[in-house]
Amino acid sequence: MAVLELDSVSKSYRTHLSLRKYWILRDLSFAVREGEIFGFIGTNGAGKTTTIKLALGLLFPDNGTIRIFGADAARPAARRRVGFLPENPYFYDYLTGYEFLDFHARLHGIPAAGRRRRVTAMLERVGLGNRADRQLRHFSKGMLQRIGLGQALIDEPALVILDEPMSGLDPIGRRDVRDLILDLKARGSTVFFSTHILSDTELLCDRVGMLVKGCLKAVGRVEDLVRGETPFWEVTLRWPSGGPPPCGRVVSRHEDEILVRVESQHDLHRLVSTLNGGGARLLSVTPARQSLEDLLVREVRRADGGEKDADGEEHGGEGHGADEPDGAPTGTAESDTVGERRAADAR
Amino acid sequence: MPGRILAIALNTFREAIRNRILYLLLVFAVALILCAQAVSLMTVGSEEKIIKDFGLATIDIFGVLTSVLLGIGLVSREIERRTVYVLLAKPIHRAEFVLGKYFGLVLTLLVNTAVMTAWFFGLLVAKGIADAGLAKAIVLLFLQFLLITALAILFSCMSNPIISCILTLALYVIGHLLWSFDLLKARLTSATARAICTVFQAVLPNLSHFDVKGQVVHGLPVSAGDMAFAFGYLALYGTAILLLACAIFQRREMQ
Amino acid sequence: MSAAAYRRPRRLPLLAAALGLLTAAGLASAGAAAARRADGRITPLLYLPSGRYLKAAALGFDPILADVLYLWSIQYYSNYRIEDRYLYLEHIYRDVITELDPRYVDPYLVGALIMTAEARQPEMALRLLDKGIEHNPGDWILPFEAGYVCYNDIKDYGRAARYFEIALRSPEVHPAVRRFHAEMHNRAGDPRTSLREWASIWETSDDPYVRTVAWNHVHDLRVEVDITTLRHAIGRFVAARGRRPARLEDLVAAGLLDALPADPEGGAYAYDPARGEAAYRGSRILGR
Repeated sequence: MAVLELDSVSKSYRTHLSLRKYWILRDLSFAVREGEIFGFIGTNGAGKTTTIKLALGLLFPDNGTIRIFGADAARPAARRRVGFLPENPYFYDYLTGYEFLDFHARLHGIPAAGRRRRVTAMLERVGLGNRADRQLRHFSKGMLQRIGLGQALIDEPALVILDEPMSGLDPIGRRDVRDLILDLKARGSTVFFSTHILSDTELLCDRVGMLVKGCLKAVGRVEDLVRGETPFWEVTLRWPSGGPPPCGRVVSRHEDEILVRVESQHDLHRLVSTLNGGGARLLSVTPARQSLEDLLVREVRRADGGEKDADGEEHGGEGHGADEPDGAPTGTAESDTVGERRAADAR
Repeated sequence: MPGRILAIALNTFREAIRNRILYLLLVFAVALILCAQAVSLMTVGSEEKIIKDFGLATIDIFGVLTSVLLGIGLVSREIERRTVYVLLAKPIHRAEFVLGKYFGLVLTLLVNTAVMTAWFFGLLVAKGIADAGLAKAIVLLFLQFLLITALAILFSCMSNPIISCILTLALYVIGHLLWSFDLLKARLTSATARAICTVFQAVLPNLSHFDVKGQVVHGLPVSAGDMAFAFGYLALYGTAILLLACAIFQRREMQ
Repeated sequence: MSAAAYRRPRRLPLLAAALGLLTAAGLASAGAAAARRADGRITPLLYLPSGRYLKAAALGFDPILADVLYLWSIQYYSNYRIEDRYLYLEHIYRDVITELDPRYVDPYLVGALIMTAEARQPEMALRLLDKGIEHNPGDWILPFEAGYVCYNDIKDYGRAARYFEIALRSPEVHPAVRRFHAEMHNRAGDPRTSLREWASIWETSDDPYVRTVAWNHVHDLRVEVDITTLRHAIGRFVAARGRRPARLEDLVAAGLLDALPADPEGGAYAYDPARGEAAYRGSRILGR
């Protein structure tokens, strides 16, 4: 059953002075299933936050419908089981930690009898038990993030929506958020979060949606999206002889170590099997796997390529995946990008 | 629903308190004492009237300023500071948010007015010139504050604080000058123009219903009918304005 | 790296400069104001529009505005160095202050005082007091003041008496006003009414002092009224018979009097047939 469902949602805005419409979202359709972790990825300005605001009734769509647990998202009842953490938490800074969570508990209708207990428990859970009496204006960013999670989770929501939950956090903070998301899933909640940090997504999400310039370019499981043939391997060898290797292309050389790129499985086997002799030694073999990042970059470049028409409205490139909810073809990754990254990793 | 409105109202009140607005009351108290002393030196005749006039006028001005200056920011500041996102993402109606903010400011005004009134009456009792009729004037002034706050929050839902401030103050001034429409009508020849004046007089907030300061200081009675009318007018007009504010905020996009 | 310590930016010079400038501005302003006062230039407050228009600007704060202007007016009119300060006297009091708050009694009284005692314009004072009486129907002090102005400054006793009557309508009127009223009739040349009033005071008062005063007036007025009555009767006798009566009893016999009046002591009035004049044998208490 779809927990969050968007159906042909479009959103535009007009600046005050001009009559021109700018489309933020175009015909957006996807669904988040119960119990999954869904990552909503895209570049800055792609429309992720707008999508989330539409889902929460903060904005209203031009066209299309948005449903949460089957109810129209614009109605307050739809948000009864939803918890939300915005990107940059802006809260009432004159409240203490305890007062803040107590206030949100009241907004959820948690009766006075159990409220104190639940608020205190939540403060402990987000690690702010000893900061209950400090005003929020004295909280660091990490602490604000945590109290923000506290208000999002205070009523044990079935759907948790997080907008860029890991932006601006240090690695410890990011790991904490990651663990929290996994914990939520373990408890049976559905998690929908947006991010532009793709490494998190690959590890965490059951499914992802990729938004480029307001159009959904890909939706599905990570493995499905990046599935495809391994385009090439990078082999690090100790090659004292200095001559060219039997196959493949030398990408870089450092003293007697070389980095060789081979384009096919056959060449790889040939290279490895001819190593014995001459002091050559195999150091590492790394298959170049296309990542989500590659996919995103490719889609962005494609979208930029099919640029503005005469009216100034922006079209996406030949997007795929918007009509196919699961699985999307991948193509060859941009070798330069990956190559640069692998080379950087190797140093 | 009332629980949520109450939660937001108490929160708004807490914010006002923690913003140290109560220091204004100190200013009031000191100003009143100084005036009383200065007047007794300067006047020929009774100082009683001047002290009472000054006390009522100061309560009036402080209340109006509080209503306007805090009222115009009730909604627009939340939007500007983005604290409103996480609130509206809760399962609350937008109207509950508006009403909660409104009643929070009403509570603040109640506390302010009560403290000023207590201090004022204390001074009058100390000078032996206390008069219970003054309380009626203060009650009506409080009703006036409620109406002005409603107007302020209406504009707060629509636009930025500067425009809200100008418009609310403009309505305050006009609200005290509606009697001039009568003068205008006497000079107009066209029936249409007179009809337009009448429409304006009906639609614009008539704040003179809440002003009996001169009457009570002179010891003239304020009838129960007048008091009831003022309550009724506030109930009707104030509710209309709040409904309008809720309606406008209902479809406001939170960019 | 130099070894000099880091010096925090100093606040003191800026603060001192600000304070100095403020003091200079304040002194300059005070000096200019004093100079304006000294050479008597008219302050802008005198150009106030009529109170009706000022009401519009007051936005419901008319009473306090009236108070402030009243306090200002007291200070202004106490300043003897300003010449021609009475040019706008009536405008200030009648058209501005009392227009803003017509029920504020002090400005009427003080304004009238200044108008009579200093500006020597009693009619102006009466115009002001008339307005006050009109707007404050229960008040007795305003008509009393007006009566006093008529009595003291204009010497129009009849008018004074009419004002005192207005004052007497108020239940809280000071008892002395009745006595003023009674005496005004006498001064206005109507001793009979005066006698009636004084008699009424004598009858209704509990205060022995008041009764004594009233009796004194009643006594002398009785004599005056009786002598006047006798004189008129004698005149008619002479006109009818062509000769003076021989005795006062002849007037009764001739039907010109119902009875001979007795003097306040109960005795008879003296009569000089040679001159045809009646006289009082005793002495008048008040010596008039």
